[in-house]
Order: sequence, then structure tokens, then C-alpha cells
Amino acid sequence: MKIRTLRYFSREAVRGIFRNKLMSLAAVGTITMALLIFGVLYLVTSNLQYWGQRARNQLEVRAFLAKNAPDREVMEERLSSIPGVKSVKFISKEEGARILGEMFGQTDLFAQGENPLPDSFNIYPVSGADVEAIAAKVERISGVEEVVYGRNFVRLLNLFVRLIWIVGLILISLTVFAVLYIVINTIQLTVYARRKEIEIMKLVGATDSFVRWPFLLEGIYLGITGALVSIFLLIQGYTVLYGKAKNFARILPVLSSFEVTMELIVFLLVMGIFFGALGSILSVRRYLKV
Amino acid sequence: MITARNLTKRFSNGVVALQDFSLQIDKGEFVFLVGPSGAGKSSFINLVIRKELPTSGLLEVGNMNVALLKKNEIPYFRRNIGVIFQDFKLLPNKTVYENISFALEVIEADAREIKVRVNYVLDLVGLTHKRNEFPSELSGGEQQRVSLARAIVNRPHLLLADEPTGNLDPETSWGIMELLKEINKRGTTVVMATHNKDIVDRLRRRVVAIENGRIIRDELKGGYSLED
Repeated sequence: MKIRTLRYFSREAVRGIFRNKLMSLAAVGTITMALLIFGVLYLVTSNLQYWGQRARNQLEVRAFLAKNAPDREVMEERLSSIPGVKSVKFISKEEGARILGEMFGQTDLFAQGENPLPDSFNIYPVSGADVEAIAAKVERISGVEEVVYGRNFVRLLNLFVRLIWIVGLILISLTVFAVLYIVINTIQLTVYARRKEIEIMKLVGATDSFVRWPFLLEGIYLGITGALVSIFLLIQGYTVLYGKAKNFARILPVLSSFEVTMELIVFLLVMGIFFGALGSILSVRRYLKV
Repeated sequence: MITARNLTKRFSNGVVALQDFSLQIDKGEFVFLVGPSGAGKSSFINLVIRKELPTSGLLEVGNMNVALLKKNEIPYFRRNIGVIFQDFKLLPNKTVYENISFALEVIEADAREIKVRVNYVLDLVGLTHKRNEFPSELSGGEQQRVSLARAIVNRPHLLLADEPTGNLDPETSWGIMELLKEINKRGTTVVMATHNKDIVDRLRRRVVAIENGRIIRDELKGGYSLED
């Protein structure tokens, strides 16, 4: 193909868009709406996942020591050497009493009697996903009497994180088909309006690919436009929501808009181009049989 | 240039457009296809440009068996044939100049060559001053001339004209005929479907009369009807 022809194609594509303004607008509108759905799905999924992961990474294993346990240093070394452990923190029975006292709003919880609490260690994992494995290993270390971690909570959380992923993926792929159907129908309308043009091209001796190219480029341009509009709307909307949600960040952490932007942009652009191109190709095909 | 032997075209709805149609048109000829509406003139043209396939019989255009053309050969086959369509088939979104240059863009002609050739045919059909107007801004005769210009810009060996003077006033019609005669004089085979009795009778060229899909008369230097 000559460079000149390529230029001709892109010129034709741009002209096609502007000389069929209403149809182009309809197509861009449809693609924008479709991508907005994706964008929202994407944002919700990635935030839920982020939330799950954050919660998981705040997990810790607590090991209560036996009365006859070895020295603090020995225990610390034993616990630290477990693979997947980021750090350990010693909590003496006095400190334990203080923390417990704070929780009950009393500073001298065991002032009158003997402090019944054992010494303990807080063990922080590198990844929240390893909590169960670490806890099992801690349990087997001599000198440890009891291990506490939210066993059921951890299991639920792991399930939750995986579930979000799966549900998000299923929703997105179901939507892909629905959206593709709508987008193809809209683009088909724009092509239908120009079927005469295709017929004439074929009658003066244009090859199929010569007819197809401008439409393909047009579809891609429309897709990119739709993607840019939806990206703009999503980022604007998300920034506003993020501003509001930040106040509750301690309860419900939210990904900052900067963190989601790049992935979102790439995701929506790819989707937009895909929809536009596929829609055009499938739409033109039926009118090429002249 | 065109050889039809026992050609039959039957549409899927049962309508028979051409029946046992045999015709030989040589290179450089000027042939009128005459007959009432629905006689099969346009059907014949559609077969020649391979828009339709014959049901049976043989049709050769420029020594190519039309029925045996492969799908990807059709575009290249059509580039040798210029067609003036009854309904002009101009692109409403393109200017006069673009409508004509389109036929050359399609075959990926050289930019400079496109310019030279389009300007030449624009001059030939007398529409240089309307080059930037859109078809909707033109009269019927002007649109017809654009269609003609597009059909010949490619210097085809064969020019098919389907009612090129239909709906035109006599003066404009004669202008079109003068152009067709001129193009024929330069070696292009011209086949023109018409029911303009006046033109056929005055030009005295070969006349092929069609009725109900059959050739009922074929005479050199004929008139529109037998009595003439």
C-alpha cells in the first residue's frame, strides 16, 4: 500500500466522521456509555480488592508465651527466622496489662493482684496471605503456649478477595458481549447510511480492503474519542468521590485517583479501539457483497 | 468486446430478465440497446459489470468469462469498464471533483496523474466551474455529466451508459450524446441503453432491440423501431 493511499484513508475517515456528524455522535455516545460501565466496574472491583488486601496486610499473629519459655532474645530469634515474617514485637505482660487497661478505660487493671497475663509477641507477616501458614509454624515452636489470629476472619478475607476478582471478571466479560452488541448495532447504522457509498466504490473497481480501511480507521477514531470522553468523566467523578471518601479513609481506604489513572486509561483506550474497529469491520462486511 | 451466447438471467423470485440472449459487440462499436422499461436492458448491463451472475449461458467481456471471475478479480475487472448509471450514483458527500477523482483514488493512481486527468474530463464535460459543488447543488443534466466524467476518467475500454439521457431536456441530451460520440471516436466501445427514440433515429448506429428479455432485432444503422 502506498503512503499516499494511507493518507487518503485517514483523510477519508476524518471526513466520514464530520460529514455524518449525527451518526458519529451517536456512535461516540454509545461507546462512551459502554466504557463508563466498564470504568465503574473496574473502579469498584479494584477498590474492593485494594480494600481486601489492605485489611489482609494489617493482619498479625499473636503468640503467647509459656511461663517457662526461654528468654525474650531466644524467642525473638526463633520467631523472626520463620519465613514470611516481616517483624516481631515483644509485648511484656506489663505492657499487655496496660493495653488491656486502655481498652477497658482503666489504667490500673491488675493493680491490686497479680498480673495473670503472659508475655507475648506480635508477629507481622510480609504478606497478609501467609498468615495461616505462619501461625501454624509459630504454634510448633517450643515456648509458645497459644497462638491467636483471626482464623475465620482470615479465611473469609482470602475468599472475599478472590471472589471480588472472579465476580469482577465475570461481570466485565458479560458486559463485553452486551456492549459489543450495542456498539456494533450503532456503527452498523452509520455504515447503513453509507451503504450506497460502499456500493459505488465497489462498482468503480475498489477492492474490499480499500473500502474497509477508511471505515476501520473511522471506527478506531470514534472508539478513541469515546474512550477519552469516558476517561475524562470517570477521572472527574472519581476525584470528587475520592475527596469525599478520604475523610473515612481509616474505615474504608480508597485508592487515590493517581493510583488508578494509568491503568484505567490504558484499559479504556484499548477497549474503545477494540469496539470501534470490530464494530466497523463487522458492519462493513455485509455491504461488500456487490 | 462483449460476447453473449444463450444468456439467461432468472432472479430468485422467478422473474426472467434475459432469455436465450445472444449478442456480439466488437471493439470500437457504438451500440444502442432499445426497448420498453423492464425489457432487460439494465439487467444486461448488470451482468456485464458482474453485479449479477448469469443463470445460464456464456458471457464474455474482453475475453473474460464473467461467471468464472474470482471474487478478488472482480475489482480489477471492473476497472476496464466505465458505467454511467441511470440514477447517476454520485456520492452526496463528495464534491464534483472528488466524485470524479474517486474512481482514480480507488485504483491508487498517482496524485499528479489524478489531478491532470480529472481536470481534463471536467473540461470535457464543461463543469470546471462547478468542481467544488456538491451533487445536490447541480441540475440533473450536470449530475449526469459528472457521472459521465467519472465513467471515462479511467480511460475504460468499454463504456456502458444506462439511460444517460433519461429525464434530460433535448438540448442537454444532445450535449451528452456529442460526448459519447467523441469518446467512441477515440476507440472506446460504447453500449447505451435508451428509450430516447429521437436520438436513436438521428444517430443511425447499430440498434439492438430487446423485449421481454429477448433480442427481437439487431441491425446496423437502425432506427428506434422497425418502421423507421
